Amino acid sequence: MLSLTPQDIEAIALSVKVATAATLLSLPFGFAAAYLLVFTRIPGRAVLEGVVNLPLVLPPVVVGYLLLLLFGQSGVLGPVVHFLDIRIIFTLKGAVIASAVVGFPLLVRSIRIGMEGIDDQYIQAARTLGAQWWDILSTIIFPLCGRAILAGMTLMFARSLGEFGATIILAGNIPGITQTIPLAIYEYTNTPGGDGMALSLCLVSIGLSFVVLLISEATARSFRKR
Amino acid sequence: MLFEVDVEKKIGDFSLQVAFDLSEKRCGIFGPSGSGKSTLMHILAGLLKPDKGKIILDGVPLFDQANKINLSPQERRIGVVFQHAHLFPHMNVRRNLLYGWRRTPIQERRSTPETIIKVLNLEHLMERGVNSLSGGERQRVALGRTVLSCPRLILMDEPLTGLDQDLKFQIIPYLRNVLDQFEIPLLFISHSLQEIRLMTDEVLVFEKGRLQQRLAVEDLARRRLVSGSRGYANLLHLPSPQAHGDLWSYRWGGTELILVDPGGGGDNLFELGARDITLFKQHPVATSARNLLPCRVSDVFGDGNRIGVELACNGGHLISQIVPESVRELDIRKGTEVVAVIKASAFRRLY
Amino acid sequence: MEIRKCILFFLLSLFFFSALPALAGEVRLSIAASMTDVIKELVSSFGKEHPEVFILPNFASSGSLAKQIVQGAPADLYISANQKWMDYLVQEDKIVAATVQVFAYNSLVFLGRKNPQVRTLGDLTTLSLIAIGSPKSVPAGQYAAQAMEAAGVYEQLAQEHKLVMAKDVRQALIYADRGEVDGAFVYRTDGLLAQNAVVLFAVPAGLHDRIAYPLGLTHAGTTNSEAQAFMAYLKSPEAVKILNRYGFEEAVTEQ
Repeated sequence: MLSLTPQDIEAIALSVKVATAATLLSLPFGFAAAYLLVFTRIPGRAVLEGVVNLPLVLPPVVVGYLLLLLFGQSGVLGPVVHFLDIRIIFTLKGAVIASAVVGFPLLVRSIRIGMEGIDDQYIQAARTLGAQWWDILSTIIFPLCGRAILAGMTLMFARSLGEFGATIILAGNIPGITQTIPLAIYEYTNTPGGDGMALSLCLVSIGLSFVVLLISEATARSFRKR
Repeated sequence: MLFEVDVEKKIGDFSLQVAFDLSEKRCGIFGPSGSGKSTLMHILAGLLKPDKGKIILDGVPLFDQANKINLSPQERRIGVVFQHAHLFPHMNVRRNLLYGWRRTPIQERRSTPETIIKVLNLEHLMERGVNSLSGGERQRVALGRTVLSCPRLILMDEPLTGLDQDLKFQIIPYLRNVLDQFEIPLLFISHSLQEIRLMTDEVLVFEKGRLQQRLAVEDLARRRLVSGSRGYANLLHLPSPQAHGDLWSYRWGGTELILVDPGGGGDNLFELGARDITLFKQHPVATSARNLLPCRVSDVFGDGNRIGVELACNGGHLISQIVPESVRELDIRKGTEVVAVIKASAFRRLY
Repeated sequence: MEIRKCILFFLLSLFFFSALPALAGEVRLSIAASMTDVIKELVSSFGKEHPEVFILPNFASSGSLAKQIVQGAPADLYISANQKWMDYLVQEDKIVAATVQVFAYNSLVFLGRKNPQVRTLGDLTTLSLIAIGSPKSVPAGQYAAQAMEAAGVYEQLAQEHKLVMAKDVRQALIYADRGEVDGAFVYRTDGLLAQNAVVLFAVPAGLHDRIAYPLGLTHAGTTNSEAQAFMAYLKSPEAVKILNRYGFEEAVTEQ
């Protein structure tokens, strides 16, 4: 029933790699963005909020196309990319960036909710005890929104596992490099007689998501015990 | 210590405007809810920025609107004990206690954690999570945490308000011990005159955002005999008693007091209402009251139909409350000899 | 009362619209992507003579189209870029075997960024990214894979992950034209449409199966007189001229 070709196994491994990389890469930025939005009053907060939330409301294909315009040969950041001698289009980096951008708002949203739930009085107490803002960030804020960070990471990881639109535009469909599970399934759905394979991959996808969910729940529970 | 404060702050309809200079080590801030006490506390701690004015502690400006100085709370070295402790929930008692200590520069450190832990009787709680502590334990940890940050001054914002009556007065000895031992000036904020009397010597009285009076705590207490609804409470520190039949005998100065309460097993603090002291011109022949103390009147004060009579008894001082008619009838004035009659059950133990 | 009227109206219009296809004068085409432009022109010139006929073309890779037809998508006429998918549909009893015939021929080229070093299939290993239609569903990709295998380079290129899978031959063309890949395998007919990319070499015809475009009618198509009229038109001299102009070789009517 579950028949997977070596190319399929590659797709699964790639999906996990891309989702993990995208989540880990986005984490520091997501945390910083959430902190800026919740605890500071910097000018331009509204703009930051808009930019962060944009990928959430745009169709992923649009996001992918905008990224293409940004990083392409003739793109805005083209010269920079060229100068640094790195390739984004049609590479693993592109797939990671596509997933990272699309999932970013989910991560920030989760962390924000966690941060907003922190009682301001803990922060006041810490200030009177001599802690500077970075100290408060690492000793008070970060530990207290651990659950929210984890929830955000899980959400983002799951979203990345399913990312298709932006990925196919920015990273293309290259088996072994950028062909993640959704792209592989898509290819099978275009192939007469490919239904069995598509279904197998679908089952794997469901299974993976399940595992991620279970891990997230278990870790959240261990947080609660403290 | 010299604390010069002159600030103004407007929040919505409420406006705070205060100016005072403080050099007492133990000062209270007293007033009803909404009088601006908490706002003032936040301003002094640096958690709220006043609209204008200045705050200078020992010659160092903490806030000066004209010169654009506004030190952050972390720079002010003013410790705060909050009403609800605000212990960090993700840390155990040990880490909470040492939070401020670890952030104090070595040259500023004055005591050691071990000493404070011992004084506050926290040794057995060190590894506990803070969520499993009782209200009294939480406040002791909060106090320890604040003291260990070696502040130049401690602000206590209604720290006893959320506690049960029995607990409240159990903590007071701890508070006094710590502050005495480490000689940290204290600003104690409360709406309870009783707490202020036990913790401070001088008090600033606030109402509607303005400083109304500034006087010694004792004087405030006496004024409340006349104006307050509960009158004046005599506070008596009594040592461990001896059995006296089925009652208890406490040494009080050169005489003894007979009480129903067996005491707490150490030093005790009892409260005796001024209204519970009856004055007799002569020693009564037969009375159910067990305490008959010969006293000399040292002061008579008050007005309206509430008169406070300060008595010097062979041990200490008491204040009794009587009506003007009685003053005339018994010819009570400075120097008069009377007998103060107090029932054994009239004493209420605080701790 | 109002709600009932609305529901009635809604149901009626559903019925009305779903009955539309049954109305005469409509032909649905499923056409391999590489024939997009030539069929569009053929449809338009046919329409000049038969204005009452309404033609709906659907362009995609031959494999996707075959998949759609098997799943029940409506179609009267199917043109595939290889015999394989046509045989598949005949086998699935979606296409009437008797109506199948070859329509045109094409040849394969490799085009991309100007590069004098690349002249044969063997030179491809020096490039970093090559686009081909996904061999699973795109005939152009299958032909390209066949040719590369025959030249002994396919294995290496696949292992080095240098092959970008496009969803049809047109997408492969765009990738090459935009410069995102070093080159792509497309039909000669597509090469004529490229704006920036140039043909680097023609793929020797012997290395792959002959690129033939069979066409056939579905069961629905055999009862559709307009569909049959269009099919007849496709074999007319006028249609052949248009075919040639786009670079296709017409099929000599031997079948």
